[in-house]
Amino acid sequence: MIHRSELTSAYLDGELTASEHTELAEHLSGCGKCSAEMEQLQRVRSAVRSLPVLELPAGIVPEADPVVVPLRRQKGLWTGVAAAVVATVIAVAALVTPDPGPVSVDELSSRFGARVSLDPAFGPAKVVIPPSGVVGE
Amino acid sequence: MRRLIVFTVLLTALPASTAWATDLDELLQSGQGASYSAEQVISCSTPDGVRDAVVNIAQSGGELRVTSSLADDVEVATGAGEWSLSRQGGLIVEASVDAGTAMADPLYVVEDVGSVVFLGRDAMAFRLIRGTEPRAELIFDNQTGALVHATTFTADGEIYCERRFISFDTSQPAIEQKDEPLATTSPTLVEDSDLPQVVAGFERLDHYEDEEGVRFAYYSDGFFSFALFETPTAVTVPEPTLAELESGRYSRAFTAGQVIYVWETRHGGMALVGDLPPDLHDAVLAEMPRPEDPGLFRRWWRALFG
Repeated sequence: MIHRSELTSAYLDGELTASEHTELAEHLSGCGKCSAEMEQLQRVRSAVRSLPVLELPAGIVPEADPVVVPLRRQKGLWTGVAAAVVATVIAVAALVTPDPGPVSVDELSSRFGARVSLDPAFGPAKVVIPPSGVVGE
Repeated sequence: MRRLIVFTVLLTALPASTAWATDLDELLQSGQGASYSAEQVISCSTPDGVRDAVVNIAQSGGELRVTSSLADDVEVATGAGEWSLSRQGGLIVEASVDAGTAMADPLYVVEDVGSVVFLGRDAMAFRLIRGTEPRAELIFDNQTGALVHATTFTADGEIYCERRFISFDTSQPAIEQKDEPLATTSPTLVEDSDLPQVVAGFERLDHYEDEEGVRFAYYSDGFFSFALFETPTAVTVPEPTLAELESGRYSRAFTAGQVIYVWETRHGGMALVGDLPPDLHDAVLAEMPRPEDPGLFRRWWRALFG
């Protein structure tokens, strides 16, 4: 036998269709287990409904504080917008600003050569060959 | 087509240091006024391989020029604080400086090696000793005072660079008239420098800064010398090798007689250009600002604001 306990609660709440009501009634007439379960469930519901309704004393549930979040949300929003604008400006400036470019070591070597030429001695021993290798090598 | 390069060196009228031996001092002074032409071979054994060059030298009336025939459209001229590189008549790079300080007191003890014969001519040989290490051997022609052979050594006695005259002629000094000095913007001398005054025996003689914010200091130990550059942006060097020294990682390049180190710091680019032998590189670089990755933000900042 297939017990229909899933229908008993709906039966007590009056939520069964006519066909389900007929089906459950036929089952209860022949099933002691489900009949006992139905009877117990009815007693519990009656007991709960007979309990008195009490008023809660004041102060048990604290009142909620006024919410001040909107102002903070506004401030954070503007800060984020400002940061995004600044970041965008920097990024765009970095992209459009011409790169000053690296310094060529030939330029630096020429300054070394110019300074060396002021040393008073050892001229032939101080010949500076440019790094680009266009002289001599 | 025969390639022609003119490389001019003007010897200044500054007196040689009195710290040198009398004979050497006299040869240095007489060599500045000598008249001769010669062909010089330069060969340097560097940690990155051999670097060679051949140049022609001519001197007359205190003016010294060095020419090469390996590039027909390139001309290099230097002297009296000027240096320029031209190609096909167009100026590529130039520099002009004024010495702020006289030559450093030499760290070297001069040893008179004695009389030798070089290219069939009487000559005098000297050895320069730094501490206990021979660092250079110099041979001067007796008649002209010309420095006809110079050999520099590393600390362990290995030859670093050799500059040798392979021909020498005192009868026909081929001197062409030098063009007027180029109009260059000279960097200004910096009075206060945050760079060390003495580095591994090298004395900082002067410190310059130009309008582009490039600063450089010139160091000398009385024979070897180098310039240390601080630049707002990175420095590029052709065909560098990665040099991992105790003081950090650098980009390095050698030419015949010259070494270049390039690196970056948080403040910009740095470069060392000089003729010091390899065993002194680490000791010098260890006392300079260390290599440091500037990071993306600093790169952007420098790109935007210099």
